[in-house]
Amino acid sequence: MNVFISGASGGLGRALANECGKRGFNLFLTDINEGGLKSIQRGLERQFGITVTTAACDLTSDESVDALLEKIDGYGIRFDMLLNVAGVDYEGGFLERQRRDIIRIISLNNEATMRVTHAILSRRREGHPFYLLFTSSLASMYPMPLKATYAASKRFLLDMAVALGQELKQSRVRVLALCPGGLVTTKEAMSGIEAQGFWGDATTNPLEKVAARTLHRLQGRGGIYIPGALNRTLTFFGNLLPRRWVAAAIYQRWSKAQQQWNPSKIKTRTPA
Amino acid sequence: MKTAVITGASSGIGLAALVELAQKQYAIVGVGHDANRSEQALKQVLAAVPGAHVRFVNGDLMQQREVTRVAGEIGAILESEYNGKLDALVNNAGCVRSWYTTTEEGYEQQFALNHLAGFLLTYHLLPQLKRAGGRVVFTGSESHKHMRVRWNDVMFFSGYHPLTVYKQSKLCNILFAKGLNDRYLADGVRAYVVDPGLVCTDIGNKNTGSLVNFVWKYRKKHGVSPQVPAKTYGYLVETEPAPEELYYYRCKPNRYSREVTSENAGRLFELSERLCGIQYPASEPGKGGKT
Repeated sequence: MNVFISGASGGLGRALANECGKRGFNLFLTDINEGGLKSIQRGLERQFGITVTTAACDLTSDESVDALLEKIDGYGIRFDMLLNVAGVDYEGGFLERQRRDIIRIISLNNEATMRVTHAILSRRREGHPFYLLFTSSLASMYPMPLKATYAASKRFLLDMAVALGQELKQSRVRVLALCPGGLVTTKEAMSGIEAQGFWGDATTNPLEKVAARTLHRLQGRGGIYIPGALNRTLTFFGNLLPRRWVAAAIYQRWSKAQQQWNPSKIKTRTPA
Repeated sequence: MKTAVITGASSGIGLAALVELAQKQYAIVGVGHDANRSEQALKQVLAAVPGAHVRFVNGDLMQQREVTRVAGEIGAILESEYNGKLDALVNNAGCVRSWYTTTEEGYEQQFALNHLAGFLLTYHLLPQLKRAGGRVVFTGSESHKHMRVRWNDVMFFSGYHPLTVYKQSKLCNILFAKGLNDRYLADGVRAYVVDPGLVCTDIGNKNTGSLVNFVWKYRKKHGVSPQVPAKTYGYLVETEPAPEELYYYRCKPNRYSREVTSENAGRLFELSERLCGIQYPASEPGKGGKT
């Protein structure tokens, strides 16, 4: 089983890579952070003795991805699984963020993901099932004030996953949208979850379990995977309410959490 | 002048041990995580022991490339100023994590910092330790008891529980100390583990979740001051002839887990070598310093 992982040197990417390593899959890893890629490659080879190939790449650049594909075609690699993990978000409300940061969310989360998905799907192993993961988010379930661009970008991935799942069914491509709540991947994530207090803890999912179940679900029936019973319940009831009400409630919660977390970021306004 | 290296030296037990050894006239390199905190610690040490030979090197020892860099810097200091001799290495840096989180290598963080960092740092400083007939001291914990190494899943990919993972990492400290003694006693290098008891430090309040944070905030109030276990570090690196046992609590030998066997120690040694991508050199009796 040959697996391509984007964003492999970040928290969720590493956890999924570990899970693949445990299952003895061969990995092709990419990330913008070259040092991080080399580290995770070493770790995987030492732990599991699997074949790991890495190539640093800026997925938002067509040239960079072309170079990556040349490398893949040079090796003649054909893939059985694609885990789209690379994604980004920046803190702060819409007008507090830099214009370029907002565009970058779309370029990486959506544009780059489409670029990679098309490229790797075209290089799938013929006559075999293919497994395709989109890392969406719990944020994709509702419009989210203060995280509006991010939430909308994740909604895009969710809809893509569901639609492609149907479109490519005949080609034996199984598609899963992963919609996790908080995941403890970085120190920033840790402090962000702490700032949300009870709800932060309650909607946070254990990274290693999410990684294991994601692969399980992906190789099983695909569809949409929302980790955590509470998250599933909240999503179910949230979908019954008018979207404007849910957005208002989320605004209340996030503005409070953000003030607690870093008051300076809420107050400062940078003209875009 | 005798030399010492102490990791996790900018606060808690590490800082107290540093003051203790500074009072005993050691030249010390402390390893801290954060340059600001290290600077504060240095001021505290110099206030307590005026004229102490102390400096700090900073790095995130959870990451192996950082351990290697820090070891290089320490090695250079020892070579240029202290004849390449290291008398005491205190592997003290440690952490608690509420959730499964990984290092750059994808290794679980508690295992990586509490065990592997010490394993790799000791490897890099072994030549200097051999030259001085040095001692290696680990900060262990009574919690290592009633625990086994989960050989088929040392990183706790399934069933992660913060305390269980912490306990295993502390068991690994004793197993590694035992492994070191099994290999290098003949070279004059000896390893010990200190059981500090319950100590009032911030280990449970640094990058942990709200539950661990909350519990530790109250629990640590019952702990003793870090100066209490610090005496044991002073005792273990200074006493001549060298104390014979492995595990010490308040300067007295203490009982440790039955899991601490040469077989388990050897197994952990091999696994850790693989995870660090290194191979400890064979013992060369007679080539070291004093035996």
